[in-house]
Amino acid sequence: MAAGSAPRINSLALLILPSALLFALFFILPIGLMAVMSVLTGNPVVMPNVAFTTKHYARMGNDSYYLEVIWTTIRIGLWTTLAALLIGYPLAHWMARIKSRTGHALLLMAVLAPMLTGIVVRTFAWMTLLSDKGVINQILTSLGLITRPPQLMYNETGIIIGLVHIYVPFMVLTLTGVIGRIDERLEQAAENLGASPWRAFIEVTLPLSLPGILAGSLLVFALAISAYVTPILLGGFQIMTLPILIYQQISANFNVGFAAALGMVLLVISLSLVIAYNHVLGLVSGQRELR
Amino acid sequence: MTASSRRFPLSRRRLLTAAASLGAGVIAAPYVARAEEPVLNVTGWGGKWGEVMKAEIGPAFESEFKCKLKTDTALPFLPKLQASSRSAPIYDVLHTNSNEQWAAVEMGLVEPKVDPKLVPNIADVYPYAVSDKIVGVSIFTSAIGLGMRTDKGYGSVTSWKDYWDAKFNGARGGYVIPANSLGQAFVMMCGTLFGKGQTDLDAAYAALEKLKPIKLVDFTGAMEKLILSGEAGIGILHDSGIYRYDGQNQPIDFVTPSEGVLSLEQVLSITPGSKVKELGNAYINYMLRPDVQKRLAEAVWYSPANKKVKLDAKYDAKLLTTPEKVGKLIQVDWKWYNAQKDEIDSRVNRIFRA
Repeated sequence: MAAGSAPRINSLALLILPSALLFALFFILPIGLMAVMSVLTGNPVVMPNVAFTTKHYARMGNDSYYLEVIWTTIRIGLWTTLAALLIGYPLAHWMARIKSRTGHALLLMAVLAPMLTGIVVRTFAWMTLLSDKGVINQILTSLGLITRPPQLMYNETGIIIGLVHIYVPFMVLTLTGVIGRIDERLEQAAENLGASPWRAFIEVTLPLSLPGILAGSLLVFALAISAYVTPILLGGFQIMTLPILIYQQISANFNVGFAAALGMVLLVISLSLVIAYNHVLGLVSGQRELR
Repeated sequence: MTASSRRFPLSRRRLLTAAASLGAGVIAAPYVARAEEPVLNVTGWGGKWGEVMKAEIGPAFESEFKCKLKTDTALPFLPKLQASSRSAPIYDVLHTNSNEQWAAVEMGLVEPKVDPKLVPNIADVYPYAVSDKIVGVSIFTSAIGLGMRTDKGYGSVTSWKDYWDAKFNGARGGYVIPANSLGQAFVMMCGTLFGKGQTDLDAAYAALEKLKPIKLVDFTGAMEKLILSGEAGIGILHDSGIYRYDGQNQPIDFVTPSEGVLSLEQVLSITPGSKVKELGNAYINYMLRPDVQKRLAEAVWYSPANKKVKLDAKYDAKLLTTPEKVGKLIQVDWKWYNAQKDEIDSRVNRIFRA
């Protein structure tokens, strides 16, 4: 009978339907629209005579300023990721290996506590600390240690400080899970075979935690290159990044097409990283790459 | 038990149904009552302006014209209007500064002029409010000059050119030019000060380059805070940004440069697709009424566009309330500026990057 040979739908598969619809509606559709807008001369819904164009991408290619903005965005992302990793790894290692349940809970609270405050508030707090008349410069000046306050914000350093503070918890939480699953007996075995604790860490723990390092770095980098509030406030509007430029194009230049093209570039950067992450993860774990 | 209670016994289900119906009726009543009222969608500012509009001016307008006034104070307005349908725009009346009005008219989002026959109070406005530099009609203006600290021993400042004085290095406040109309007007002032006129961009760029080190902000409110906190000793600001702290004993003052002050107009215009244009014109006429103008002018220190407004002495002494004072205003050519905006933005972003 024909009915007997028809493929049967697993009723459990229907459970994925809501999330699939959500994904299609709020992820694929907006990104698809952005891709379309980036190659149109205007918004076809409200404007007549809209045509295809490559001028938005050509503008980026023809003016080195936009390439510099892209590089600035990537540079800030890289420094933020590196700093978050250097700060986050020891903390994550400690959290993963601490024996005391109370100690673990306290560390977890310490990591999560800053996340209970909004990004804007935290950035303003950094501005209070780092500005020319801020707490740090005022203290240094009143102690007579400096005569001219050094510029702690309105530059890339200020932005990176703010971003690292915001994104370290993402790095720590990602790493803690991975380090926690590494069998401690492997390190003990290395030490029993004569390796120093440092060498056991370098040759056993660190390579095994590489998936966590990669995942945490990917997360922090993606968040850092798409950050808006912190770069604009701590950069004092003098450091241009892609998200700031995109907002400027929409809110002040009303050029949705160019903003969409810039958005596509940001997306391509992130996608390239995810692909590279998959590739590297496949290599280090000796497994197949995800296709 | 009565005969009627036997016929309609009060069960729990009936009680709950009745209570639910009553509750729904109470909640829906205001909406049903207002369903016939036309709604006028406008844009407007927050802060003190928004407070006065919400508490006094708006309700009085609603009561007089039997309508509902819905005000959007969440910037940016123009991208939202740009994204809405031309035949059913999100706003009926657009209130912005002049630069955005010119961008809106270029995109066909607002009507270029307001008909004086439909807005009779236009007959009483100063010429600048309906000049060829204005889309729609300007209901108020501020004077853009220099705001500065008076407690830092900077000495006398009388000219725009004093803004370039080396003593203000590191204590000079400016704007993110692509995003701020005061910053954009200042670009054209630079062309006038150091070149052949407002459109001399090369001279303007060279002058802007010499302003570094400078602290940049996006809005006038942020500039006020920069000066109040002492982070900046001098900054480009409109007069109301300083005068609004009158009586608070702040060490700040507004300088009217000898070369003149730039005009920061509060402009209203009608969207072509509005379904309530008559009400939109009535709103503009209402905003130009002397009593409304006086209330708002004295609340936020804006200079009224209506010549017939008589402000209290304190405000009259400082605001632009006579033809002679209004004559000091320099209006800029926003149509020209907007045509060059991409080029200017690209250049000034380069100039001011750290």
